[in-house]
Amino acid sequence: MNEMTSGHTVKAFTEELDSINQFVIELGELGLDQLRRAVQTLRDEDTKEAGLVIDRDRELNEIDIRADEEIIRLIAKRQPVAKDLRDILTVQKVITDLERVGDEARKIANLTIHFYDNGKPPPSNEILRDIYDMATFVDDMLNKSLQAFVKVDLKIALDVIEHEKRLFDEFRGSLRRLSTFLMEDSRSVGHVVDIVLALRALERIGGHAKNIGGHVIFLITGKDVRHENLSAIYSEVADLT
Amino acid sequence: MEELVNESGVVAKPLNPEAATEVDMQASYEQHGSGTVGEIYVNDPRMTCRNVNVYYGEKQAIFDVNLDIGKNQVISMIGPSGCGKSTFLRCLNRMNDTIDVCRVTGQIKMDDQDIYDDGLDVVPLRASVGMVFQKPNPFPKSIYDNIAYGPRIHGLSDNARHLDEIVESSLTRAGLWEEVKDRMDQPGTGLSGGQQQRLCIARAIAVSPEVILMDEPCSALDPIATAKIEELIDELRENYTIAIVTHSMQQAARVSQRTAYFHLGKLIEVGETDQIFTNPRHKLTEDYITGRFG
Repeated sequence: MNEMTSGHTVKAFTEELDSINQFVIELGELGLDQLRRAVQTLRDEDTKEAGLVIDRDRELNEIDIRADEEIIRLIAKRQPVAKDLRDILTVQKVITDLERVGDEARKIANLTIHFYDNGKPPPSNEILRDIYDMATFVDDMLNKSLQAFVKVDLKIALDVIEHEKRLFDEFRGSLRRLSTFLMEDSRSVGHVVDIVLALRALERIGGHAKNIGGHVIFLITGKDVRHENLSAIYSEVADLT
Repeated sequence: MEELVNESGVVAKPLNPEAATEVDMQASYEQHGSGTVGEIYVNDPRMTCRNVNVYYGEKQAIFDVNLDIGKNQVISMIGPSGCGKSTFLRCLNRMNDTIDVCRVTGQIKMDDQDIYDDGLDVVPLRASVGMVFQKPNPFPKSIYDNIAYGPRIHGLSDNARHLDEIVESSLTRAGLWEEVKDRMDQPGTGLSGGQQQRLCIARAIAVSPEVILMDEPCSALDPIATAKIEELIDELRENYTIAIVTHSMQQAARVSQRTAYFHLGKLIEVGETDQIFTNPRHKLTEDYITGRFG
């Protein structure tokens, strides 16, 4: 249960809001786990486990659909307003982002199969290093974004959004480093392109975490900050921080 | 304007319902006395209410309410039972004068006229500020006479033909003409509930009001009749100013441009309806409209 939902005269409404919040928690845990397992399959060169990660993405899709059905039913039945409405809209948006986190994790698992199940020499650990560094970074962002949602915490949400600039810098830094591999050995071009795609998938996961931070700010303040820069966001929420 | 703001304790800075605990909110509420959160003033007011207090004998029912009612706008007044919203509405055309123990202080103006001025005749006032009640109350007369009665006693028609025109245009504006034009001599009480309520609205319109007050006009009607009245309210806004008291928050959200939330006789919050129903500033408003009490 997130801290926004409590105390309706119609207790069933409170229970229904709690139940849709559970979808976020369930999907958040699964998305985070998918990210970790997908990256681990690369470390372990484990194509069998990568296949399981890919199969498991269906579970996330099913939760996404079930949550949508429940949300539509809830809106039709309860006609929510104010923070109840924001709570429901926030859950729907967070669910969408988390489902896409699952899609990006699946892409990384696909890469494991591509690298270690095609009979060709796999990339070196040195060239893979950026993936692990960036995975650690976005893991932290995603984890924090889920905490921000569960605790309805403005500070954590702002912290996640602040991380995005560093994420982008990390991404650009990795691209520069990978370009040196290309300059030193043009035969690495195939691996480098694949790794750039994996980094892009991780960068997208970080982007979804940032979106979740924005959704939490909307939940708390009613202000849509998705397309604003950091200083504008801070001035929007100045009276709450 | 500045002085009024200070006197009435209007809170310039919105309270922060998310960051405050209930105890904090209660403290803020007490600290500002009858202070109202939100925009009590509008650029183009039809009616202005300043420091309005209402007493029933010793008991105070309305506390220091300041509120503008904008021209060609629908303002809805919501709040739990006994919060004073109907009492306040009835102040706007001095309907409370009919209650012996009721005393109203403060100032209510329509345009520049103080409606509580000692020399003011309440009969034309109640024509200018018409009222529609919860239960449809057609006169025990024909449909035609229900509408024609007001213009006749106020001397608004020059001749029978003019009166016919007023009756037809009033019924047309109330969306009832097509349904009743072939049975104008039949009793108004024979119409369905929804038709009776539209007849009452037509009756109010017939005396050329500027403001129409509606006290829960749909609470005795079925959903289709309610939808017709809501559609009508939206159309009437073009020519009239409307203040509506409703227990249905969805109705307030659907029909009004501004919403005022009353609680224990105080105007807690007023603002754009969109803002009130998506992001209310006061915790009491939030808790009421989300069904946490009331």
